[in-house]
Amino acid sequence: MSGAVAARGGAAADWGGFEDTMQAGGSSGSAVIDMENMDDTSGSSFEDMGEMHQRMKEEEEEEAEAAGGEEEDGEFLGMKGFRGQLGRQVADQMWQAGKRQASKAFSLYANIDILRPYFDVEPIQVRNRLLESMIPVKMINFPQKIAGELYGPLMLVFTLVAILLHGMKTSDTIIREGTLMGTAIGTCFGYWLGVSSFIYFLAYLCNAQITMVQMLSLLGYGLFGHCVTLFITYNIHFHSLFYVFWLGIGGLSTLRMVAVLVSRTVGHTQRLILCGTLSALHMLFLLYLHFAYHKVVEGILDTLEGPNVPPFQRVARDIPVVSSAVLNTTVKVMALTS
Amino acid sequence: MMQQQQPYTGQIYQPTQTYTPTTAQSFYGSNFEDEPPLLEELGINFDHIWQKTLTVLHPLKVADGSIMNETDLAGPMVFCLAFGATLLLAGKIQFGYVYGISAIGCLGMFCLLNLMSMTGVSFGCVASVLGYCLLPMILLSSFAVVFSLQGMMGVILTAGIIGWCSFSASKIFISALAMEGQQLLVAYPCALLYGVFALISVF
Repeated sequence: MSGAVAARGGAAADWGGFEDTMQAGGSSGSAVIDMENMDDTSGSSFEDMGEMHQRMKEEEEEEAEAAGGEEEDGEFLGMKGFRGQLGRQVADQMWQAGKRQASKAFSLYANIDILRPYFDVEPIQVRNRLLESMIPVKMINFPQKIAGELYGPLMLVFTLVAILLHGMKTSDTIIREGTLMGTAIGTCFGYWLGVSSFIYFLAYLCNAQITMVQMLSLLGYGLFGHCVTLFITYNIHFHSLFYVFWLGIGGLSTLRMVAVLVSRTVGHTQRLILCGTLSALHMLFLLYLHFAYHKVVEGILDTLEGPNVPPFQRVARDIPVVSSAVLNTTVKVMALTS
Repeated sequence: MMQQQQPYTGQIYQPTQTYTPTTAQSFYGSNFEDEPPLLEELGINFDHIWQKTLTVLHPLKVADGSIMNETDLAGPMVFCLAFGATLLLAGKIQFGYVYGISAIGCLGMFCLLNLMSMTGVSFGCVASVLGYCLLPMILLSSFAVVFSLQGMMGVILTAGIIGWCSFSASKIFISALAMEGQQLLVAYPCALLYGVFALISVF
């Protein structure tokens, strides 16, 4: 059975993730995998996983009941004093069965060890990749290597969160529906995961040779330029400086990502679609981050600096309107009471 | 045939044994003289707490892996409360933020360290180490009570304290998990976490 699965795994590399899940499910002890069901072209083998789980659960329950039943029958003829202890033993067995099932489910679905190989890096590698993310490659005729690593990108996203938080705090931004931390984390992770998925989907449509982890890694390292730009421009407030950085640093990191994608895509239209979308999203994101999170500082600076600012103007209160309204209501009340 | 409790053999005093129980197995409540002292029962060992505090405060002191592997949450709880109290002195009632960020930060570091290390690490150990290394941040927030940290000197001091906290935390993690050569990789996420605490202190 495992040979057949491995052969199919070799033939369809893109479906590697699926195969792993099936193997993990198969090796976790259930002997009830039906090979015929795996040929089902309904598109998802998660239904089979669900079925298998249901069967496992039912088996466990039967076992537990049977064990409980046996115990009770065996000891029922014994002294009454043992009943309390029986109850405890049965409860204990049910607990054990439940715990076993929960840990099986946990190890099947929430196993973070799948991600372990992507975090196996040395500091020097991370540093080199950070620097390379700003250098566009020249050779686009054969596929460029992308490091499938998640430590660097994850740290860069968290750094961006920290920089955004710092920017929001220094500019006294007030977020009404939510918290500062939540907004920052939502923005950064939303961009990283969302845009990666979207570009991966486009890459699938345009037949580009890139996997999801590689896309996450590429976009994550592309955020290095954003971090540097925002760190400098949140502290030194010159619009022209920001535009220079936007074009220079943002442009360089976008060019690198674009060059890597171009090297992995065939066909002019496909290249254009993919790279156009990515560059637009990447550059616009930097623009958005700059303008959405430090407007308030700009406002304060203008009022502090301005010979152009008009002097504080007093607007006369419209007292007659108010007093006439009060007068009218008072009259009406008096009319009603009298 | 009662469910017997695990007999307590005084293992908390690793590596030095300064208390030897009178009997190898002791039943709680059976004998007044046989009961272990209250602090041992609660799991609070002042000597180890002091050792760990000194390890955090002296950046160049070598950390002892065996002491650091213990899960001791009494010290970290005290430090979190002290941090909240010093923030309170500065007029910021932010205990909730402190606890929330500690919990989320510990969870994040726990996942990251489990992924990066050969041997796994327990959540209690991570929480304990991160809690102890919060001590220099208490110095920062007590400084913020008297002086404002928003000038250039405040920035330098904050950066220094964040560096100190993350250096100690990474030093302890490296020694406890045997991850030589990856100290910078462990220090950086710690620095991000302590940076968030510093943001609370400064603003």
